[in-house]
Amino acid sequence: MRYGMVIDLKRCIGCYGCQISCKMENATPPGILYARVSKEEIGEFPNVRRASIPMLCMHCASPPCQEVCPSGATSQRPDGIVEIDDKKCVGCRYCMMACPYGARYYHAKVRSYFPGQGLTPYEEWGYRNHPTGVVEKCDFCQDRLAAGQEPACAASCPSHARFFGDLEDPFSEVAMLVRDRGGYQLHSQLGTDPSVYYLPS
Amino acid sequence: METAVRFYGYFRDIVNEGRAQFNLPVGANLADLIQALTERYGDRVRERLLRGDGSLQSGVRIAVGGKVVDSLDHKIEDGGREVDVFVMHEVAGGAEVEIKEDVWIDTTCALCYSCCAIRVHRVNGVVIKIEGNPDCPSTNGRICPKGLSGIMMLYDPNRINTPLKRTNPEKGRGIDPKWVPISWDEALDIVTEKLRKVRQEDPRKLLAIGSVTNLSLYRQLLSFAMAFGTPNSWNSGAGTHCGAGEHIMAAMVHHAWAWNPDADHCKYFLNFGTPAGFGAHYANVAMTQRMADARVKGMKHVVIDPWMGMAAEKADEWVPIRPGTDTALVLGMINLLINEYGLYDAESLKHHTNAPYLIGPDGCYVRDEKGTVQVWDAGEGRAKAYDDPSVQDFALEGSYTLGDTACQPAFMLHKEKVKTYTPERVSSKTTVPPQTITRLAREFGEAACIGSTITLEGKTLPYRPVVVGYFKGSQGHRHAALAAMAAELLREVVGASAVPGATLGTHARSLGNPETGIPHWGPKVGPDGLMVLDTFAWPVASYNPYPPRPARKPETVTLIECVPLPGSTSFPPLVMADPEKYGLDYKIEVVLNACSNFPMTTADPDLVSRAFKDLYIINYGLFPDESSELADLLLPDACYLERLDTDTDWMCSGPPTGAWAYHLRQPVVQPLHQRRQFESVTLELAERLDMRQDLYMVLNMMHHLEGEYALDPERQYTWEEVVDRRYKAWYGAKYGVDWFRENSILTWPKKVEEVYWRPFMPVRVPIYFEFFPRVGQEVEKIKQETGIPFDTGDFQPLPDWKPCRSHESTNPDFDLFAIYFRAPFHAFTYTGNNPMLDEISKMDPYNFRININTQTAAGKGIRDGDWVMVESEATGKSVRGQAKLAQGLHPEVIAVAGSGGHWAKGLPVATQEGKGVNFEWLLPLTFEDTDTVSFNQDLCVKVKIYKEASQP
Repeated sequence: MRYGMVIDLKRCIGCYGCQISCKMENATPPGILYARVSKEEIGEFPNVRRASIPMLCMHCASPPCQEVCPSGATSQRPDGIVEIDDKKCVGCRYCMMACPYGARYYHAKVRSYFPGQGLTPYEEWGYRNHPTGVVEKCDFCQDRLAAGQEPACAASCPSHARFFGDLEDPFSEVAMLVRDRGGYQLHSQLGTDPSVYYLPS
Repeated sequence: METAVRFYGYFRDIVNEGRAQFNLPVGANLADLIQALTERYGDRVRERLLRGDGSLQSGVRIAVGGKVVDSLDHKIEDGGREVDVFVMHEVAGGAEVEIKEDVWIDTTCALCYSCCAIRVHRVNGVVIKIEGNPDCPSTNGRICPKGLSGIMMLYDPNRINTPLKRTNPEKGRGIDPKWVPISWDEALDIVTEKLRKVRQEDPRKLLAIGSVTNLSLYRQLLSFAMAFGTPNSWNSGAGTHCGAGEHIMAAMVHHAWAWNPDADHCKYFLNFGTPAGFGAHYANVAMTQRMADARVKGMKHVVIDPWMGMAAEKADEWVPIRPGTDTALVLGMINLLINEYGLYDAESLKHHTNAPYLIGPDGCYVRDEKGTVQVWDAGEGRAKAYDDPSVQDFALEGSYTLGDTACQPAFMLHKEKVKTYTPERVSSKTTVPPQTITRLAREFGEAACIGSTITLEGKTLPYRPVVVGYFKGSQGHRHAALAAMAAELLREVVGASAVPGATLGTHARSLGNPETGIPHWGPKVGPDGLMVLDTFAWPVASYNPYPPRPARKPETVTLIECVPLPGSTSFPPLVMADPEKYGLDYKIEVVLNACSNFPMTTADPDLVSRAFKDLYIINYGLFPDESSELADLLLPDACYLERLDTDTDWMCSGPPTGAWAYHLRQPVVQPLHQRRQFESVTLELAERLDMRQDLYMVLNMMHHLEGEYALDPERQYTWEEVVDRRYKAWYGAKYGVDWFRENSILTWPKKVEEVYWRPFMPVRVPIYFEFFPRVGQEVEKIKQETGIPFDTGDFQPLPDWKPCRSHESTNPDFDLFAIYFRAPFHAFTYTGNNPMLDEISKMDPYNFRININTQTAAGKGIRDGDWVMVESEATGKSVRGQAKLAQGLHPEVIAVAGSGGHWAKGLPVATQEGKGVNFEWLLPLTFEDTDTVSFNQDLCVKVKIYKEASQP
């Protein structure tokens, strides 16, 4: 069993829906983006392409973040999910340096989405789960998984570009998509073996 | 008692050391230790560790002798005099919360006109999550970033929460109105007095302004205005931001408000810069999924657009084009299809359009003595009535003589006219290479599979898997109606309209729920066999471009009565500045503005300000936005999460294929603070103004409330009762508000006869707009009588490309075209203050920037990130912003995202330097820049761009 996500760049339209659906599911404070979209331009006019690459924690099979964690706060579950125990995290941020994908965020202090105007009731409710002084990241919405739901970004993606499942099951949708459509990992040369695959656009 | 204390985590940053020694009295407890820490390190320590009531903050862990303790009375010596202090948790909400309520409520989004079904999670009265409703067959539970982030609109601390009255009489940009809160009673007394006075004097002195995004609200505003007796109502922003030319054609050709691709079958999408299926356009989320399916299945997608937007980013081919020249390209392609490649659908043209109608030398139909339009039956070699069942073969080509009249089929006129659009000539206008034009035309024509059929549900139908997309951008120019006409012709030439694979009018035909037979609407045969709109078809019942109503002299500040075709207008600010000049014998005195930010969404904000600042303006809305700077009274509306609405089933709210899906918009929280839904307040105002009978009569008409559901003026209704009746009238007695509250979604499959209605219906659609010249003559007469400078040159039956003013500019200083593009993660100015969407806007490389082609910028010494000024040739106004150098942009163009550049102080998230520019500053509001046929504004202007001398 190894949880994994496949992001179909043929389907993705770069709308940032994953970024906001993740925010609303996890009530992440401003600037903390477990899911985000990176945009770049390749080539020169008129032979130019634009690319939107949705990013999240890659839940690497060999997570460099775990290797450098001095407090044992970062660990890997048997199903491959890399998680952070905020009760063990001491906020040293070594993991942020180690992560090649920029997937980790340090929550320095409580900030409002409306600076200087206090927290909205939604933020008061949601930020209870966001201690400061610790590092945060995507955990594949493990609470939703436990409830039999797919991660929020996959469930709400307007173009249905995200697929979630067991990469080790050769008949799972994710495994078949990776196989049939030429799925690839980002920065695979680093040898971290991400659990997030991309299908070519 | 020597005590060793070690500090961990966040606390270490506070005390700036890792360990310390304390000498505490024997028997000291944790409270004593905290006191000692406070004395050494300051009060901050106490705040970090203790709550106001003296208990430990959540997230603080103190271990004595390695064992975590939670009582401050715990004696330190019991643990071997070693204490570990962890403070890793600074938590916003504090203590654990008891869950008293945990519910999901089904309702409908309103952050654009797509009206997606959503479910909202409420815990202890607080809305904490919005998701798509998985039971909705349109969206399958998916939802866009705007819809997901709506909580930030509900809880935005900048919302208007109570009625506010202006105390500073001076109005204008940046001037504080000095609002003071007043009670609803006082506010409604003021409104009643103002409205009663103008209603007694002359009800036309009231101008109602709204926006079509929330149709429940807009329909109520229109109803109130009609009942009040004023013909002056204005859906502001629509003139600039909508596809006004497209809507006219959609009504006449598609029996619809707009179009969407048949994503289920389309194989080739020739997309003139629309975001259909790419995060905006109608039925946004539903179409985004379906178009993604189509891409995976191999649909080719070609985007023609000066700007590489989200659609072009995902396209197989991006064809950059000079702004305002799409029509030339379209006509060039039609020329190749008809005159070079012979790739056109003669059968469709013969049977479903007026292509075979014979046209005389005067440009009018040739009729027999009974007045029936004639066609030429090539089978029998003689003229017949167009609807004669004995016609064997409708002639599309040739020249004929009937009596003394020389005539040709309408198609023949097209065929001849487009011959001037050679690839070389088109290329010189568009900058698209001739070989690209010929290749695209051939690809498109071949992909149309002319002559092939497909069998769906046992019915064999034409299969034309090509879609032509056009909307605001390509037609948003000086000659909008002709641009729309040309694009429609490209669809019709290959028979790719309302058949499988083709362009579909959204919700053109409804045969009703099989259980009840309602709601029921569809195309009807009108004069000369051409289609007319059913009353249900358009969201606002009064619109019908064919047959056209007579043109009339100005009666309103909108001038919409002067031209029979437009559905929206941008003229009110011009006319209001000098009503006498337009022959109006009254002046607007009071404005009722419901949720429209008209100073930001029209053109030339200064001109708009001047026209409105001396009027009494009642602003009903969510935010103290730019329109509030002109207002005298602000009334707090309920936002969509606090509303009960009549209309959540916009004509374009679902995808054209699949299933019908109707649902309710209901409050997930009761309106917070003193917010009150506009519709309820208008019912109360009707009582105060003694106009209940008028309002109920109009509401009955607007909502099709008939029989037992008609509102009876003998009694008074609550808004919920009105909504309930509306739902029952539309869906059947059992389907009232309670049914939708309980069951959420009413759905049934669409039939092929509904989706692909063309082959099933005996109506024809125009490809030759024979009545246009007659309309033009009527408008010309009004122009002569009133002096209004309408340009009547575009009332022609066949399309042409004509230049915009920007194409004719000769000033070499103004060397670039400025255009704006739609930011799909914003709903125009409505979401500017939403900080989550603002966060996206800041991350996006282009959204807040002034985008300029990299090579063009290099020639001007502009680097990425430089602060630049853009000056409009037409208005003389400038906007300031940071340059973004982009390769995906036509070299002659600068592009900005629409609806940025807020300036109202009441929107602190949106109103910050560098957060986009308001394109409207560059746009003139003149007759010369408005298409007379459709009232569409020209959205490209010539500008110069230069780097600011001093860079911050």
